[in-house]
Parts: sequence; structure tokens; C-alpha cells
Amino acid sequence: MASGTSEAASSATDLKLQFAPFSSALEAGFWHQLTQKKLNDYRLDESPKCIKGFYYNGDPVGLPIRLTLEYSAFDVDAPTPAHCCPALGTLYNTNTLDAFKTIDKKALLEKVAKEIWEAIQSGAAVKDPSILSKFILLTFADLKKYHFYYWFCFPALCFPEGIKLVKECSYLEQVFSAKQIESLQKVYDGLCTNKGATALPYFLMKYTEDAVQIALLEDWDTFFTDTKKVTVGIYDPCTLAQHPGWPLRNLLALLANRWGSKLDTVEVLCYRDRTLQGHRSIEHSVVFQVKLPELPSSSVCPKSVGWEKNPKGAMGPRIVNLSECMDPKRLAESSVDLNLKLMRWRLVPSLDLDKVVNTKCLLLGAGTLGCNVARTLMGWGVRHITFVDNAKISYSNPVRQPLYEFEDCLGGGKSKAIAAVDRLTKIFPGVVAEGYNMSIPMPGHPVNFSQATLSQAQKDVEQLEKLISEHDVVFLLMDTRESRWLPTVIAASKRKLVVNAALGFDTFVVMRHGLKKPAVSQSGCGAVDSSPSCSSTSSSSSTPAGSAPSVPGSSLFSNIPGHKLGCYFCNDVVAPGDSTRDRTLDQQCTVSRPGLAMIAGALAVEMMVSILQHSEGGYAVASSSDDRMNEPPTSLGLVPHQIRGFLSRFDNVLPASLAFDKCTACSPIVLDHYERERFSFLSKVFNSSHSFLEDLTGLTLLHQETQAAEIWDMSDDESI
Amino acid sequence: MNLGALEEDTFSTCCHLLLQKSEQLRDGWSWESVQGSPEGYLKKTALRSAVITSNAIWSQEGSKCNSEAHSCCQYSSDQQVSEKSVVVDEDDRGCTVPEGSSQFLQYEYHILYSCSYRTPVLYFRACTLEGRSLSLEEVWSSVHPDFQVRLRTSPLNTISQQEHPLLGQPFFMLHPCRTQEFMRPVLQVAQDQHRSLNYVVVWLSVVGPLVGLDFPQEYSTLLQ
Repeated sequence: MASGTSEAASSATDLKLQFAPFSSALEAGFWHQLTQKKLNDYRLDESPKCIKGFYYNGDPVGLPIRLTLEYSAFDVDAPTPAHCCPALGTLYNTNTLDAFKTIDKKALLEKVAKEIWEAIQSGAAVKDPSILSKFILLTFADLKKYHFYYWFCFPALCFPEGIKLVKECSYLEQVFSAKQIESLQKVYDGLCTNKGATALPYFLMKYTEDAVQIALLEDWDTFFTDTKKVTVGIYDPCTLAQHPGWPLRNLLALLANRWGSKLDTVEVLCYRDRTLQGHRSIEHSVVFQVKLPELPSSSVCPKSVGWEKNPKGAMGPRIVNLSECMDPKRLAESSVDLNLKLMRWRLVPSLDLDKVVNTKCLLLGAGTLGCNVARTLMGWGVRHITFVDNAKISYSNPVRQPLYEFEDCLGGGKSKAIAAVDRLTKIFPGVVAEGYNMSIPMPGHPVNFSQATLSQAQKDVEQLEKLISEHDVVFLLMDTRESRWLPTVIAASKRKLVVNAALGFDTFVVMRHGLKKPAVSQSGCGAVDSSPSCSSTSSSSSTPAGSAPSVPGSSLFSNIPGHKLGCYFCNDVVAPGDSTRDRTLDQQCTVSRPGLAMIAGALAVEMMVSILQHSEGGYAVASSSDDRMNEPPTSLGLVPHQIRGFLSRFDNVLPASLAFDKCTACSPIVLDHYERERFSFLSKVFNSSHSFLEDLTGLTLLHQETQAAEIWDMSDDESI
Repeated sequence: MNLGALEEDTFSTCCHLLLQKSEQLRDGWSWESVQGSPEGYLKKTALRSAVITSNAIWSQEGSKCNSEAHSCCQYSSDQQVSEKSVVVDEDDRGCTVPEGSSQFLQYEYHILYSCSYRTPVLYFRACTLEGRSLSLEEVWSSVHPDFQVRLRTSPLNTISQQEHPLLGQPFFMLHPCRTQEFMRPVLQVAQDQHRSLNYVVVWLSVVGPLVGLDFPQEYSTLLQ
């Protein structure tokens, strides 16, 4: 016999029957439906509600015995899934966690146990045995956090002395012949069809060597003529070889109470009916015999048990956190992420989204460029976006700046940096956006009118230094040339990646600034250019303005490594100054073709993403237009230094240029002064005319040397 | 007629035949209709033991959420339900059910008709026995590695997270944008050989296994 176990060996004379308890199984839809019910129907109503679950006897070995509740649980008239048995329950949904904790669980259990006991005594349970599998569900739904507390109870009436096993569990195939098994399956299906059901929770059974007969519980008196030994069948959701499932418990109480005095032994068939790969079998059903103690009608309701243990094995409730699948904000986040992940599945399998998503972006300027850059960053799943701008939204802005609306212009206009953050959060609540309404001090725009203006400028510089330190990528998206100077210097000093976008009327430039090598070389390895970048840049690169390429035939501008690339100011031979002073209105304002900012803003973000995908990041060798036919350096393609676009020709070119050793922003001498003198150096720049920086960097000298010469010039077609 | 497309009434017929076969095979498909509407969908649930790993492949946010969700059985101190106040008798007749280290997952598969794509669409989700839906990464980790690779590289399918059109709950969906394309050659062959076939059955035999849906070969005898 296959069922020889240690249990059997220990004491064959005094074996007590043990039952496999139900485990609760909730489908996701159940909680969604409970939430809807709580919000729309129940509201503060705590009265008990009828719900319905079901159990199944066709599981493969190893699966837990379950009572399942799905979204249709609240509709007790909904059809039960085919070949499953329904179980009716009572839902107690409390309004507070406190009520959930303090509600008298013992009383709840006893109440249902009493109902079952009364139904047994009155005979109602004989007619409708589903009463025997009643259950209780206690819940508290915290709909702010989407935490659900719950506790199931499957009430079972107990025999004080337990139930003695007369004959141990065997598989049906060990007890029944193939013929009997076939007959049983046939009569079971027949009775189901007869009753218009696809499963019967309990049935009576008698058999000969040739045939099996079964009947409903209510037909006991006519079905059994001899009650010395009777056989009852239960639809058994358990898959264990040695134990019947929970639904048997109350049936045995019923049998003992109604017929116990007449019964000698009761044979129990735990009917298990599974189909694997189209092959149906009931051979693995389990049969055993018990001796039932009496439970006389006069007696009070027996002791009952049934509260489910939690996963820790303790008597206590369970909690499930469903914020991920119910909180709309979390849903938005996972949908956005999933959308991005799809790129990786097929199109760009090696795409490292982590690098993109975790990049903290500082957007200096929240105008046409800033708005478009922010939107594209959000499309890439970037979570950390910080705006700096000192302007207010004016009536002309919303049509070109997609984060603002007409309403934002009223009453003098909202601050751009603040309004942009609000809008970003509305578009995607998962974003971590911050806004700083502040000015960026500029060369040629004196700050020394008073002590107050001076200390304000100092504060602004410190704030900007702090912000640049805290972010990974700095976007320069302002509308003046000179406002880009300070962040260029700070970012170069802090070795932060800078992506710069600037617009003309129908031209734009999007570029990454050269990323200087780390200032202090900590590793001793002897890289060729391992000395601090400042000096190496100046010594190894010839000035574009001055000399011709030293090696004939090799382009000066091909294969420039990232640390030797120039910045926005490297191509200039004049220091930034007050560019608004001698300009007409159309030159001062950003007058550009309306599509330009979207194009440039999008390209700025895509350039950042491509840089991030390169194994060397900001140190990546600059791709140029010539590389368009070559194997791209990243999964997303080229990593250019600059993209210069000409809308009139609908054409982009990808130039690359070296850092200029006399650059007014990133040259070693400027960085050196900034790093040593900090604000006192910066304030000199703010307060002086062009000549201060030009003298410092040697541009003045250069001017004298190349008087009236045609200066190497890329068509840096800035409007301002 | 657009070969590759499926008309709604043909969809119903195909589903009806599939249901009959499922009943025969006891495969568990059922038709769920929506109250007060002729619309409905085929539904099947399956419980499987699975080992899920929650280290989402790239989402930092995700893994944070997951670990939070996995600790959902822990009370924080202010939420402590005093077990002393809970007067509940322990049972001495319940057997201890051996619980392995594996978790059990409930899978739900829904087949709906898409009017805009004129194809069937497969919706699915998986949840724990507590009713917590899994993230897609968690679902993958429970799917056989061969299928993971196949699905990720399959040109046939794209998965997105969508609200179930009839239930309004979040589900994953195998996007139908390529369905007509991959069905067309199959239908063409059948047409050339003057054989009729069950669109839904053929389609499901292709897409089902990709998301762990067991679809027995016996259905192949049902191709009308």
C-alpha cells in the first residue's frame, strides 16, 4: 500500500483524522471590485455582505487547497466556474483599522458555527449542503495607501475527542477495480447533468463489484437500506494522499448528528477529478474509513475553529500592498517604464535605460528650449529635472512653450521655473521636479551697484554651484550668450557634462562641451595625457585660429576625444558681454522659426542619451558627418560634438572642434582663476568690460597679432 | 476581403467552438459576458508554483516597490494588531500542509476581440494568492527562459500595460499590431488548400505559449 507513513507506523489503533485547511486565494480583480464597492456602494456601511467563493478538486499534486475569490465574488448569483463548488461567505468590511483589530473574532466565528449547527439540526443543510462550507472574510481597505488587511475564517465544527480512523487512506485505484472507477465517473457525471450542475459538493454512494450508485444527501433515507456501513463522497479540493480537505469536517458533524447513532463505520471517498493533457482521471481519489462519535441533537453547538493562519504561521490577519497595481500614479510610472523597455526588447537590446532614467538633469532656462527639452527628457523616463529661470510667463509664451497655458500669464504671470515644475508633475506625477526662480550673473552685467546686489550675486553663484554639483547633466537653454558663461565655467571646473542648445532665426547649434579630465589624477597609470587636463589641452592642441594642421592629410577635426572638445565659447575671439545693449528689439528677443526650438530641444536630449550610451560617456570621441557611413560607436548611433542645423535647407551638419587654449570660459587660466579666487574672480568678470577676460586669456594679444585677419568661423548664427 | 483579419461574428463562432473543445478537454476556458452588454471574452485561469525574482532588470523604482510589496505581511509597529486581543482558538485537527519555498501564482488569460485591429487580443496578468498583481519583470522571471528570449526577440508581439477594456483594471496585453501580418500566410495556405481553420485556435497556439499559457495540441483537431 502506497500510504504507509510514519503516522501509520506510530499507532495504528489510535489514529485521528486530520484535515487540510483551506488557504485563501484572492484574484487581483477581487480587490479592484472591493475598492469599487467601498467607494460607490458600501461607503461607510459596515453591515455584513454576502459574497461567494469557490473551490476546485482538479489540481495537480503540490498545489495548495484553496478557496478562491475573484472579481465576481460580490455577485452571489454569478455562475460558478465549471467543475468548481461554490462557497458562500459573509464579508465584514470595517471602516477603520481599529475596528478591524477590535472586532470580536471569536463571536463572528461562533455566530456562523451556530448557523451551520442549526442548519444541520433543522435538516436545511441536508437539502442544501453548501451551507456547510460557509466562510467569513474580515477586511479593512486603506484606500489612501492601497493597503488591504484581511482575515479569512473557514468555520468547522469540532468533535471534542477527534475522529478515529478505522481504515487508513488509500488511493481509489487500490480499492476499486477499473470497472468500478469507470462506473463511478459515469454516475457522477450523470447526477451532475441531472441536477444541472458541473460539480457536487457531497454525495452518497454504494457499490458492488460491477457497479456504483450515487445519490444526493437529501435522499439518504431511500438510498441507504442498511446503515451499518455507509459511503459518502465529498468533492475534495485537497491533493494530499493522507488527508481529506476542509469541506469534510462539517459533513462529518452533520452525519454524526443526524445518523450517528445508527452508523457503525463511515467510508469516505475524497473525490478528486483532474484532467492532464486531455486525459481525465479519478484514480487518485482517496478512500478511508472512520468511526464517528455521537453528536446528539440536544447538545449545544460544538466548539468551532477556522481562522486562517497568516504566512508567518501565526493566528493573525494578512496585509497586501496593492499600490503598484491600483495607485494611478504608480500605474503611470510602470506604463512609462514598460514603454521604454520595449525599445530594448527588439530594437536596441543593449540600450542601458538605467543610465538614462537615473540621470539628474539641470535645465538652465525654462523657455521654448527648456520646455521642449523637459518634455523629451520625460519621454525618456528621466525622473530628476530641475529648472532655473528668473522670468515670468508672458502672453506670447504659451503658444511656443508647451509647459504653459494662457491662465499662467494672468496677473503678471507665474514664475516660469515654478510653473514648469507644476506642469511636469501634472503630466507625470512620478517626476521629481524642482524649480528655482533665480538669476544667473553674467559677464558685463555689473553686480556691484550696492552691497545688497553684490551679496545677492554671491548667493546666486553659490546656489548655481550647488545645483550643478547635485546634477549629472547641465543643459544650457538660455536666450543670451553671456548667461551661459558662468555655468560653463562652473560645470567645466566640476567636470559635469554640459549640453548646450542655442537658436538663431532658422539655424541652431546643439553641442556638448568638452569634458575635462579629472583635475587630480589619482591613479598612477601612465596614460599619455594623464597630466591635469588643463595643461594637456593647451599644450597638445593647436589653436584653431592660428596654425594649420601639422600632419598633412589628416584632418585636425577628426577623432577628437571628448576631453579635447571645445565649449560654446571656444570658437569666440571676443569675451561675452552685454549683448542686449546695442541690439534692436528683433535682435534681442528670440525671433526664430517656431519649429526650431522643438527640433533643437529634442536633439539636445537625444544627444545626451547617445553620450550616456557610450562606454566613455562625455569622454567619447566626437563623431562627425564623415562617420555617418561607419560603424556607430553606440547602440543608438553617433555621438557628435555639435549638431548645426539649417532650417532653410532642412540640413544638419556634425562639426567637431578642439578646445581653444584662449577660451574665455573653459581655458586653463580661467578655470584656474575661478578655482583659486572663486567669487572675487567672478565678480571682476561680471563688473568689467570684455577686456578683462580677453586680457586674461591672451585674446587681446591674439587680436593684435591677427588684426583684420579673417577669423576661422563656423556659422555660429546666434540671434543674440 | 482582407486576409488576416477576423470579423467579429467569426470571432464569436471560433470562440464557441473553442469552448466546446475546452469543455471536452476540461481545459478551463469559459465565456465571461459583461452585464447588460453583448460583449464578452474568453477567460482561463491557471495556478502554478513559481519562483519569482523581483530584481527588476533595470527599474530602480521598480525594485524598491517590489521589496515593499513583498514585505506586505509585516506590520509596522503602529499597525500592530495585538494578537492578545484576538481570541481565536488554535485548531488541533488541521494538518500542517507542507509549504515549499516556491510561491503560487494565479494567471488569468483573457481573449477579447479588437474592432480596430480586427483580430483577437490576448490580455493577461498574474497575481499572488494575496491578489497582488505582478510587474512584467516578475511575470517574466516566472516564465521559462526559452520563452523569455523568444518573446523578447519575437517580431510578432509587443507587450504593453493597458486597462482591460471591459473590466477597467490594469492588464498586460500582447499588442495586436502584428497579428494580421503573421496570421496572413497561415490563412493563405489554408485558403489555397481549401481547408477551413479556426482563426482563434491558430492564433492562440502561436501567442499563448509566449506568455506561459498551456494550449494542448488536441485543439488542433478543431480547425473549422
